[in-house]
Amino acid sequence: MICAGIDAGSRSIKAVLFDTDRSHILASGLTDQSVEQERLAAELFEKLLKKAGLERSQISGVVATGYGRNAIRFADTTITEITCHARGVHRLVPDARTIIEIGGQDSKVISLEDGGHVRDFAMNDRCAAGTGRFLEMVAARLDMNWEKLAELARQSKKPALISNMCVVFAETEIIGLLADGKPLPDVVAGVQNSIATRVSALAGRFVSPPVYFTGGVALQAGMARALEEVLACTVRVAPQPQFTGALGAALSAGPANKAGDSGL
Amino acid sequence: MNTSPRKLNLDEWDDRYEQLRRDGLREAGYGGPLRRHVVREKDFRLQQLQFDNSPAALRLWNFLLTENERLHQARANGHKIVGTMKDLGTVPVMAYALPGVRAFYPDGAWWTPCLMECSDKLLQQAEAMGIDASFCPVRAMLPAFENGEHFPQPDLLVCSTGAVCDDFSAIAQRLEHLGHPIFWWEIPRRRQPAPGEMACALPGNLAAPKIQVDCVRTELQRIGKALGHLAGKTLEDDCLAAGIRAANQARRLLDSLRRTVYFAPAAPLPALEMLVAEMLAIHFCSDREETIVVLDGLLAEVQLRVRRNQFIVSAEAVRIFWVNPVADLRAMNLLEELGGRICGSDYMFTHALDLIPENLPPLEALARTALADPMVGPTSDRAMRIVRECQAGHAEAVVVSRIPGASHCAREGEIIREIVRQTIGIPAIELEIPPVCDALLPSLGSRLQALVETARDRRTK
Repeated sequence: MICAGIDAGSRSIKAVLFDTDRSHILASGLTDQSVEQERLAAELFEKLLKKAGLERSQISGVVATGYGRNAIRFADTTITEITCHARGVHRLVPDARTIIEIGGQDSKVISLEDGGHVRDFAMNDRCAAGTGRFLEMVAARLDMNWEKLAELARQSKKPALISNMCVVFAETEIIGLLADGKPLPDVVAGVQNSIATRVSALAGRFVSPPVYFTGGVALQAGMARALEEVLACTVRVAPQPQFTGALGAALSAGPANKAGDSGL
Repeated sequence: MNTSPRKLNLDEWDDRYEQLRRDGLREAGYGGPLRRHVVREKDFRLQQLQFDNSPAALRLWNFLLTENERLHQARANGHKIVGTMKDLGTVPVMAYALPGVRAFYPDGAWWTPCLMECSDKLLQQAEAMGIDASFCPVRAMLPAFENGEHFPQPDLLVCSTGAVCDDFSAIAQRLEHLGHPIFWWEIPRRRQPAPGEMACALPGNLAAPKIQVDCVRTELQRIGKALGHLAGKTLEDDCLAAGIRAANQARRLLDSLRRTVYFAPAAPLPALEMLVAEMLAIHFCSDREETIVVLDGLLAEVQLRVRRNQFIVSAEAVRIFWVNPVADLRAMNLLEELGGRICGSDYMFTHALDLIPENLPPLEALARTALADPMVGPTSDRAMRIVRECQAGHAEAVVVSRIPGASHCAREGEIIREIVRQTIGIPAIELEIPPVCDALLPSLGSRLQALVETARDRRTK
């Protein structure tokens, strides 16, 4: 049985085709998000079908997740990102007990029980300070890409303290820090620490190891380290973190699968 | 006239109302089609809500939405009007013990921006009066007092201060500075009696030092004198005892209603109507006798539905315990649309749901009840009651809804969630629901849907 999962996130749409019999990912891909998200998702889906040499009729079920999930009308059903990330991460790393997901417009902390069942969760979607949007703002302000930001953060000797709770005001603060001659790497590392601090406040006291970091922001080098420092525990980046939501959606479209090899 | 229970939107209620009328519906003086509240009072939010289809629910809504009209009528009939602010259920019992006195709850204006979808501009006007969006939406009462377009100016305004919401105190102080004199009374922060200290049992399995109960009783005595002065009649103990018995009649009905609805295998009445019904406990919606009739009607309806095995939300729905009232009533519909149902609630006035002791001197009984207010004690007391009620209602998850700007306790939600998680291990989330939550519906919906999914997944565990 082949199932599809589509994660319509705020910054990008991710899709996964999953063979439930072989417990294997057949294809995965992503595209930038835009206003026409259903068309974009459909095009991505078709592209993955072509890549995997499949016809639409061979797909047993399609589940959409992400903030734009309700716009994906060709999906059979929708499931929230909480459930999908939990299933996706559990499939890849069955020992995970806490999942931190930082996306473009929100962040989540998911606590898992045995079997990958969600025990509890917390979400932040009212403030950009704990999300990838903060990094995007900094990247745009400094006119550089994410990779360059991460490289700069690695060079930091003494991360700057970003005290503002609001991204808009933090931007002004960053400009002030740079004007005061604060080294750029320290400012960027300060931004990473600021995001990590917001997420740790969200996590409260329910962080049980092992902690896995997923979502697009997990790809940025230095973010996991920043989280480790504020949470005072090891934070591992989930395999291909940008696809765990789509994988969880695909898993939700098929029969329950055992944890383990997914082909990622 | 009997129809299977279902939820109707306002358009469907128009047809339903005509059908009920043709079938001989008997209504109270304040009755009529729900639509008229949109046309006459600009309660536009009603167009976005789903309502229960029973005549009993229609009566409840009409009762709620005609409160200002009925208050003006009472004033015209020579009744004295008392605005009772913040205490959530104690002073109204005293006011209604006196003939010709009606109490209302100006704090209730916090729902006006929601019902009128902010078309009334009350919140903006409050901001112009120096109380901005960093305060609770109760601030809507400030311009409502000033413009006289809602409730009549009360003959007496009574407000508790001390261990109450600091937001509310600031708003009420501003009200007084605007020229509305307030009779203040103080309530201390409830604490556990120290070892060896004389203690009193309070409703809700609580206790407080006797010295605190004495303090509140003395304050209530002052209020009693002020009320008696207004009514031209001393508030004697026998009057007060009769008032307590009548209040308890409403509380017993509400208790039966809550038990019947929350403990039923499936919900026989929607969450929205239950929220409105529970609110009657604190202020009687300006008419104590009619409150009893309205609750009696609702109880009869749900008992009939349970006997007939007719429910409005399926037995499959996830059982949710809801903490705090919502600023936007739409949120209660949303929960059910996403597969949840309410199996218990703590709308911040659980002390007004407990029976007032009838075996104590009346003022002593009221003082003990007032001190059992969840807002004047530690959050852990409140959380433990929530835990007990979650267990009684077999709750599968908890929603703590926050009121934007309200600051009864900055960490209240976190404390409640933590205690729930540690003692009964069910998921608990916190949501902020503004007076009109349309822009946040996708995000609110995601959280509620995730909670429902999580609870469902735990069933299969």
